[in-house]
Amino acid sequence: MKLQNTLLGLIAGVVMLQAQSATPDFSGVYYPIAPFGRFAGGPAAGASQRQGPPPKPTASAPLSDGSRGRSPDAPSLTPEYMAKWEAISKTRIAGSSEYDLTAKCLPPGMPAMMNMAYGMEVMQNKDKITFFSELNDALRRVYLDGRKPSQKVLDDPTYAGYSMGHWEGDTLVVETVALRDNTFIEGFTPHSDQMTVHERIRLKEPGLLEDRITVTDPKALTKPWESTKTYRKATREKENDELREFACPEGLGEAK
Amino acid sequence: MNATALVLGLATAAVLCAQTPPDFSGVYYPIAPFGRFVGGPAAGASQRQGPPPKPTASAPLADGSRGRRPDEPSLTTEYMAKWQMISKTLIAGSSEFDPTAKCLPPGMPAMMSMFYGMEVMQNKGKITFFSELNDALRRVYLDGRKPAQKVLDDPTYAGYSTGHWEGDTLVVDTVAIRDDTFIEGFTPHSGEMTVQERIRLLSPGLMEDKITVTDPKALTKPWETVKTYRRATRESGTDELREFACPEGLSEAK
Amino acid sequence: MRIGWTACSALLGAALFLTPLAEAHHSNSAFYVDKVITIKGVVKEFRWSNPHVWIILAVDDGKGNKVDWKVEGRPPGILGRAGWTPKILQPGETITVDLSPAKDASASGLIARVTKADGTILSNAPPPTE
Repeated sequence: MKLQNTLLGLIAGVVMLQAQSATPDFSGVYYPIAPFGRFAGGPAAGASQRQGPPPKPTASAPLSDGSRGRSPDAPSLTPEYMAKWEAISKTRIAGSSEYDLTAKCLPPGMPAMMNMAYGMEVMQNKDKITFFSELNDALRRVYLDGRKPSQKVLDDPTYAGYSMGHWEGDTLVVETVALRDNTFIEGFTPHSDQMTVHERIRLKEPGLLEDRITVTDPKALTKPWESTKTYRKATREKENDELREFACPEGLGEAK
Repeated sequence: MNATALVLGLATAAVLCAQTPPDFSGVYYPIAPFGRFVGGPAAGASQRQGPPPKPTASAPLADGSRGRRPDEPSLTTEYMAKWQMISKTLIAGSSEFDPTAKCLPPGMPAMMSMFYGMEVMQNKGKITFFSELNDALRRVYLDGRKPAQKVLDDPTYAGYSTGHWEGDTLVVDTVAIRDDTFIEGFTPHSGEMTVQERIRLLSPGLMEDKITVTDPKALTKPWETVKTYRRATRESGTDELREFACPEGLSEAK
Repeated sequence: MRIGWTACSALLGAALFLTPLAEAHHSNSAFYVDKVITIKGVVKEFRWSNPHVWIILAVDDGKGNKVDWKVEGRPPGILGRAGWTPKILQPGETITVDLSPAKDASASGLIARVTKADGTILSNAPPPTE
């Protein structure tokens, strides 16, 4: 009887360990929903059309040179950073890629990489969750084991920054610091080295991941900027759950 | 509680426990990724006292001027000629045939040298290996899927890998690898190359990857090599890799 | 007629300056993305390369000459999900390309859509995710 109870207890214990705790698993491949908003002519230009007229003579890609000014939901810049934005806009209207990190095969940086324009892959483990962007093969790590950035890390800003996260029920709360100041918040909106990013990530429903992003930058922004990204999970049945390598530098011309 | 329930319960527990594969997740550093080269450790190590590094290698001599070593892949005549041609350019100082210098991924199996550091992210259906050198990533699908024709027609640097567990060993097959990478060093290969691996933990902090490269067109026989990696611990303060962002060092890309 | 070394060097310099970079990887700012024009021509080359797919096609300029257009598509990973394959286009086949033209007025652009002679439509992106 005692042996039976012990064994029963052991089995119950194993079963409980295997059972899901409150922590959801975000692992998988996802595609962004309207990563750059819905731009004029976009879907018509991008979608397969087996019949009908050619795509409208409007946008084949987002117009990203600032010639229409800043949209009301773009980050609200201080005069100093608005001037920087206008300077960059001029170069882009003229056709230059001088200020385009992605065209130089560099990572978009945080938070811009969370547009995940082409596809996202999430690899979740107990102590770390990794987000991978198919665009330029960019990767960021979110440490979940309670660690804080060392001074060495704070003194060495990177494109992805340094991210720490913890669970609040079904929501992953993430702070990102130590971000390089040569990236863009979104579009080509510049920021300072005081920028930090706060995220609340959760599954709104099975197969739909949401990232609510708040960007704070007392030097470049008049107030914190909020943006929400949503991603649809890919499935093996839909045969779209395999991302492909990007290997961007192949297109950089003869690099001798 | 009757005997049947007990037996069922025990069987369930046994099955649950036995089926749990080891977890390879973590950060690792390679042990002697390019073998032990002449002058290496003395040249590479910190020396607070004593003479300067020996006037020999400060890094592996990688231009083939000393010919091919016996433990390198055994090339067919056609591919030996290709190797010699590349060797000439390297001896002359060119990076024309150096994909890593162009910020490109090293490809399989070369990326498993994991020269600067490796990060492994293991989930039930997929295990991902990330190399700090050039931020290169490969995925090994563990859910039994096979490559679609579309994948076989579109070779990539990392190739397409599928794996399954044999007890505590991960057995991996990689196909659809681009033929413009190098097996190791600057050893060329054909589009027929495939890579098999047997990966396991020799101890909780030591991982081993036994690699076999088969290429009926470029190699006279399959080539074998073993890579070992030491797991980094949080205590050591070395378990955080850093982004590489290689293209920053390429000339102005306008 | 002899031309001086100065003029000759100037001409050479001008030619080099105007020759576009082989595979300059640029951003959307290099194109008028709010316009779409249509060209039709014969495929000379189809490159399934990273990070962009390229088509070079010979197009009649309406004056009896053929001009090589070089048009850029999205990355192979994206086009692969939109039905393209490394061999979907072959040299010699006639295609129609809807594209956003380059700001520098060169014979180049960003592909919006490709239509093969048999009517197959290849769009520049998979259907948007909903």
